[in-house]
Amino acid sequence: MAARIRVSPSPHISEGLSTRKVMFDVIIGLVPAMIGAVYFFRHYAIILILTCVISSVVTELLCNLIRKVERPFESLGDLSAIVTGIILAFSVPPSLPIWAAVIGSVFAIAIGKMVFGGLGCNIFNPAMVGRAFLTASFGMLMTTWVVPATVDADMPTISASNVSVDARTQATPLAQSKEVQKKDIDKEIVNKQMGAMLFGEVGGCLGETSAVALLIGGIYLLIRKTITFHIPLAVLVSTSVFGGICYLINSDAYVSPLVHLSSGGLLLGAFFIATDPVTAPLTRRGMWVFGIGVGALVMLIRVVGEYPEGAMYSILLMNAVTPLIDRFCRKVPAGGKPNV
Amino acid sequence: MKTDRKGSFTFPGGVHPSDKKNLTADSKIQYGFTGKESAIMLCQHIGAVCQPLVSKSDEVEEGQKIGENEAFVSAPVHCPIKGKVKGIELRPHAVLGRSEAIIIEGDSEERARRPSEGEDVFGSAFDESQYTSEQICQAIREAGIVGMGGAGFPTAVKIGINAKQPKEVLIVNGCECEPYITCDYRIMLEWTYKILAGVRLAQKVSGCSKVLIAIEDNKPEAIEAMSEAISKLSMDGKIGIAAVKTKYPQGGERQLIKSVLKRNVPTGGIPPMIGVLVLNVATTAAIAEAVVEGTALTHRVVTVTGEGIKEPSNYYAAIGTSVEELIDFSGGLTEEAVEVILGGPMMGISIADLSTPITKTTGAITVLTREQIGEAKFSGRQTACIRCGRCLLACPENLNPTKIAHAVKNNMLDLAKKYYISGCMECGACSYVCPANIELTGYIKTGKILIAKEKKTNAE
Ligand code: SF4
Ligand code: SF4
Repeated sequence: MAARIRVSPSPHISEGLSTRKVMFDVIIGLVPAMIGAVYFFRHYAIILILTCVISSVVTELLCNLIRKVERPFESLGDLSAIVTGIILAFSVPPSLPIWAAVIGSVFAIAIGKMVFGGLGCNIFNPAMVGRAFLTASFGMLMTTWVVPATVDADMPTISASNVSVDARTQATPLAQSKEVQKKDIDKEIVNKQMGAMLFGEVGGCLGETSAVALLIGGIYLLIRKTITFHIPLAVLVSTSVFGGICYLINSDAYVSPLVHLSSGGLLLGAFFIATDPVTAPLTRRGMWVFGIGVGALVMLIRVVGEYPEGAMYSILLMNAVTPLIDRFCRKVPAGGKPNV
Repeated sequence: MKTDRKGSFTFPGGVHPSDKKNLTADSKIQYGFTGKESAIMLCQHIGAVCQPLVSKSDEVEEGQKIGENEAFVSAPVHCPIKGKVKGIELRPHAVLGRSEAIIIEGDSEERARRPSEGEDVFGSAFDESQYTSEQICQAIREAGIVGMGGAGFPTAVKIGINAKQPKEVLIVNGCECEPYITCDYRIMLEWTYKILAGVRLAQKVSGCSKVLIAIEDNKPEAIEAMSEAISKLSMDGKIGIAAVKTKYPQGGERQLIKSVLKRNVPTGGIPPMIGVLVLNVATTAAIAEAVVEGTALTHRVVTVTGEGIKEPSNYYAAIGTSVEELIDFSGGLTEEAVEVILGGPMMGISIADLSTPITKTTGAITVLTREQIGEAKFSGRQTACIRCGRCLLACPENLNPTKIAHAVKNNMLDLAKKYYISGCMECGACSYVCPANIELTGYIKTGKILIAKEKKTNAE
């Protein structure tokens, strides 16, 4: 009898959560946007998502083999590579060639995660590292937008890009908003696209276009307590506040904050990328600082900078200062600081 | 007085493990159970270890004092059964490894003690004004009463009036927030009047003006029984009942004070610093017995429970009985039993040697199966922290468990102190929620031991 009895430190029971379950929830949260992507971009979406997921998983396995870890398949079980693959696919243009998607995924996993020591040790969100690499290396491919398959052929396409891909292309609403700023086109055209943007019938990155789908997924994560509301709320509020200020100052030059909120990866970023636990602050106070920082940087980049999107860079920048935020936003014990 | 049955009092943080109380909630306290021998640990409390007052082959009486220490912070130990001293030997101790115990062999015909429980002695006939504060305090000390909720701090030391820190509120802790355990629940139902008598005595010696009995709202019957008895004694308005939210660790005294009084006990401090006295319900019952009947603390109610036990039940058992005997009495272990815990699954300590005797602070023996422990925890495999922040949200002391644990893991004790390692009450909520299955509480406990050692070597 005694042979069966084991000893272990307390507590002896657990809630039964695992990293795998947490990641699986994130994947479920991404499903609505995935459905949206497949609906709007058809085969482009399926091919891209599969490519990114498969190459992410294979890259992680290869890295494990190179590092000679004991159980090379084990880390795949936490599903984080799949999450990275999906998010990367969501944040690139639908027309991105397969080879570019593979390169992006390899970079995301190998450089964004594995060189730091794997999940939990990385400083930057791996998918955003991959996307940044693609933007830096293949800028043209990364800014060519396919018109969703569901849009009428005679809908006006504004400042269509002259890159030769086999689909109709158009500028994203945010790219147009830069042109509004330069007085090239009327802002009304952009603001009128609001309705389309909510559902995703606009040009843009694969999984970033449908605000409604992203919101549904985000709410699912909140209900499941996979994420807390702090970061998404902070990002959304600070984006609207800064966007609102610009709009109030000069509503001719700037689009309405609603456009900012529902476009250009902001929702994807707010709910799925900025909330990546590994690269966001631990404390609640830290999360507020982080989220507000992301929102402020997004608006700064969109209004002042050259890039119309901005979510990616702001998240990466805030990732970089996360250790600093954690250091300054330490928790104070419930009973106050001990006087020793 | 109408009492609110839905617990509205709560504290920030905490977790919600399944309470599993149904295994033993309806099992009445069983009397008449005696072990073959009793191993009375000389160290069952916080403070100075007792010196034996008897030696081998001495005849001992039931209730006889057999160990004592003159130090202020200490509590004597007594013999639970009539018999003979077999010797003073080392016995397994859950925390200390092996520790000295006085082994008593019982006379075979000796019958187990059965305490008076009910209204006849402790009901309306009882009047606390018969006893002076000195008498009460003396009786508590002589009876060797310690905090029976688990802490084991000598009650006589903390209960008396202290001019520098006058006590205002007495909170009687009937939360029993640990899953599985029902010993406090049973005595609240079966010893209701005894508890109330103890509460009145405690109020008298401590000088508290306000008394609140705190019970978690998953025990409506206990709340009912208590308020009924209070009305019957016409003590409404003098003794209040606070139904608190069912949440672990609601029964931690710091959390309970936060819930009921909305006040924080300073980190590293104790409740009397803010004028509060917290007593466990079992402790108050022991006080009543000691003062009214002069009985020493030699028996206590123990819940033997868990999916690994064939017939889970509550016993009135002699202190010093071995875990093995209690388990055998409950039908033995099931095939699936894999872990035997002194206490509950959250804060209890698992033991390898079933000959370990129970002490004054052992409220339960919980035997878990692999299924209850869960595959991840059973395998013991910990993965990397994904910084999800769940442990921070669960921590009732508002600490940063992952940072402390990692500091300890990397042997950076100074960093651990910067994250207020001393504020940890070792409740286990952080480890309970961690998806990476990291033994955060384990690391933190290790860190505290290392820091204590460091202090000792520095002092030398
Ligand atoms: S709960 Fe576990 S995984 Fe999450 S932050 Fe705490 S230690 Fe890390
Ligand atoms: S750090 Fe300590 S007090 Fe906080 S949850 Fe963990 S064990 Fe409990």
